[in-house]
Amino acid sequence: MEIELRFFATVREAVGERTVTWEFDSGATVGDVLATVEAQYPELDGRLLDADGTIAKTISVMRNGTNVTHHEGAGTELTAGDSLSVTPPLTGG
Amino acid sequence: MADTLPPVYGGEILHVHLDTGETETEAIDPEDARRFLGGNGFAAQQVAEHVPPDADPFDPENVLAMAVGPMNATPFQSTSRGVLGFVSPMTNGFFDSTFGGTLPQALKTTGFEAVVLHGQAEEDSYVLVDEDGAETKPAEDLTGLETYETCQAIRDREGVGYDTHVLASGPAGENQVRYACLVHESEMREGVAGRGGAGAVLGSKNVKAIAVQGGDFQPEPQGGLQGRSVQQMGRLMEDTEMLQEYGTAGLVNPINEMGKLGQRNMQTEQAAPDDAEAISGETLKDEYVTEDTTCSNCAVKCGKHVSVESEGITEAKIPEFESLFGTATLQEVYDIERVIKANDLCDRLGLDTISWGVTVAFARECHEKGLLDDDASPHLAFGDADGLVELARKTAHREDFGDELAEGSFRLAESLDDEAERYLYGAKGLEFAAHSARGLKGMSIGYATATRGGSHHDTRPTLQYDGEHDETTEGTPEFAARIQHFTALGDSLTQCRFVSEGGWGTRINENYMEAINLATGWDLSVEDVEAIGERIYNLERLINAARGVADRDADTLPHRVMSEPISDGPAEGMYCPPEELDSMLETYYEFRGWNDNGHPTTDTVQRLDLEDVAAAVSE
Repeated sequence: MEIELRFFATVREAVGERTVTWEFDSGATVGDVLATVEAQYPELDGRLLDADGTIAKTISVMRNGTNVTHHEGAGTELTAGDSLSVTPPLTGG
Repeated sequence: MADTLPPVYGGEILHVHLDTGETETEAIDPEDARRFLGGNGFAAQQVAEHVPPDADPFDPENVLAMAVGPMNATPFQSTSRGVLGFVSPMTNGFFDSTFGGTLPQALKTTGFEAVVLHGQAEEDSYVLVDEDGAETKPAEDLTGLETYETCQAIRDREGVGYDTHVLASGPAGENQVRYACLVHESEMREGVAGRGGAGAVLGSKNVKAIAVQGGDFQPEPQGGLQGRSVQQMGRLMEDTEMLQEYGTAGLVNPINEMGKLGQRNMQTEQAAPDDAEAISGETLKDEYVTEDTTCSNCAVKCGKHVSVESEGITEAKIPEFESLFGTATLQEVYDIERVIKANDLCDRLGLDTISWGVTVAFARECHEKGLLDDDASPHLAFGDADGLVELARKTAHREDFGDELAEGSFRLAESLDDEAERYLYGAKGLEFAAHSARGLKGMSIGYATATRGGSHHDTRPTLQYDGEHDETTEGTPEFAARIQHFTALGDSLTQCRFVSEGGWGTRINENYMEAINLATGWDLSVEDVEAIGERIYNLERLINAARGVADRDADTLPHRVMSEPISDGPAEGMYCPPEELDSMLETYYEFRGWNDNGHPTTDTVQRLDLEDVAAAVSE
């Protein structure tokens, strides 16, 4: 299934792209996708996921615009056509 | 009981009587330091003691109190803020507006924890403060100057360069545009006391600027504060990564992604991704930012300068996230170069970009709905970027329709058909900031109960963006109240909010307790520290209750927030219907110990040791 990844701020700088669309196996979770991103971009290694597989505190992740803390966090199962946005934590403003 | 004042305090408050030029000093009662801490707390205390409840914000009886906190000029990071306390021409209630830069630290070294301006100068003046006191100086030649020009002119006159730290109004303040701001141009960055109309109050006093030259006073923390501050540095730098690189403009894209960034006067809350991208922090950094700027004693450096060749702009202050909301998304203007121009103009003229932007967007919707015709102004179409720039000039000078925009959206609505009220976006007379009153439940109850009305620095949105109390009302009234304590405490320490939230914690916690105790030598518990924030918030409420602007009827939200769910996007369907607000208010009042009309009960006043000021504000 296709998932669109959207990157913001310093995460975008590490990736070098605003968006990418990648193919994942059906049933892939947010954690699976973030692990794939870390593997693809060494600068992000260890920045997206903690050692126990949970989402690192240094990023926020949204599935279709909703913070995945409202779903199952890294365990949130994705469906075809979802977007996943990855950003540093929202501070200031 | 606190018998002596900790040497972290300068010890005195300076009163300046503008009518005569005379000054007097007031020794700070050590017990008041324990009760109100400084900054916000001291400013509220001054307003409570000196401004009669029936005084109009533009009466000479209103005061403008500029205060710093006990931790300013200590190793406690980013205590580089100053606080202005006054009765607001927007809300007719107590208001505190903060600003950064270098002036607050300079004021601290004069030994004066606060400077209170009373009365009205006979002629256009500026006030120069140093460690010997204050002098009210004639300034008729400064009349009509923009903010940065005024800062430069006063620096030139005083002859010590940036060692004269100036906070100035522009034409908007002189013309008493109700939401006129004050701008501080320092050697390191600009600071803006943006909200509530501090510039208009100063204008009503015939004061163009406040200038400060530092002295020899150095606060003496009781020990261990430097080491304790160093402990927080790693977390601070890690959690403020976005601010360091993009400033607050970095929030545009992710909040738009959530569908909680108002467009077209809040008719929708999500821009097309390319439109958001055009005004985002990423675009600003890639194409316009030339350097980082910073306040005193801050490693975060969230300030930036931008240059725009097409507009002839060199090293202007970067538009903040809130300003991008007010001047871009609410207007459906995504021409970033024109937006930067409008923002730079607002800074130079002395206009609050939030209240001005929301007011213009309101007028544009009224025009769209036929409540204002083309005769009012030719610049009232959404998307009109050139018109936006022109309206800023006209507002600051109160020319043509700008004279009506200068009154703010609530007063403008009163002059129009009743239908206009449907398009307001604010509370208690102050326009809301960018953080959605519909899409964030904590902001719904937070805005409705805020001392300042539509302020995002009473209840904060930060934790809500991380998924706490954004989509549920469960526990949210208590959350909103306790964050209000947190912000009152932070503004009394005068620590930058961004550094507090990034480095020390988003709630009152042991970190703050330890830092305050290390600085003062007190032995406060976390509960004692929270009580300081709660006490200050209740003091503000008492002031506003006495002025008749804080009760159950005033604690409300505008029609659109209570009646029109967000129409599409990820937050589709979210709003705060009246019954939901009623339920949250009931819980909020109960948590606070307020009666059904939203006033602190006698027991609450006694519990918070506020009997004396409660008596003072009702006189």
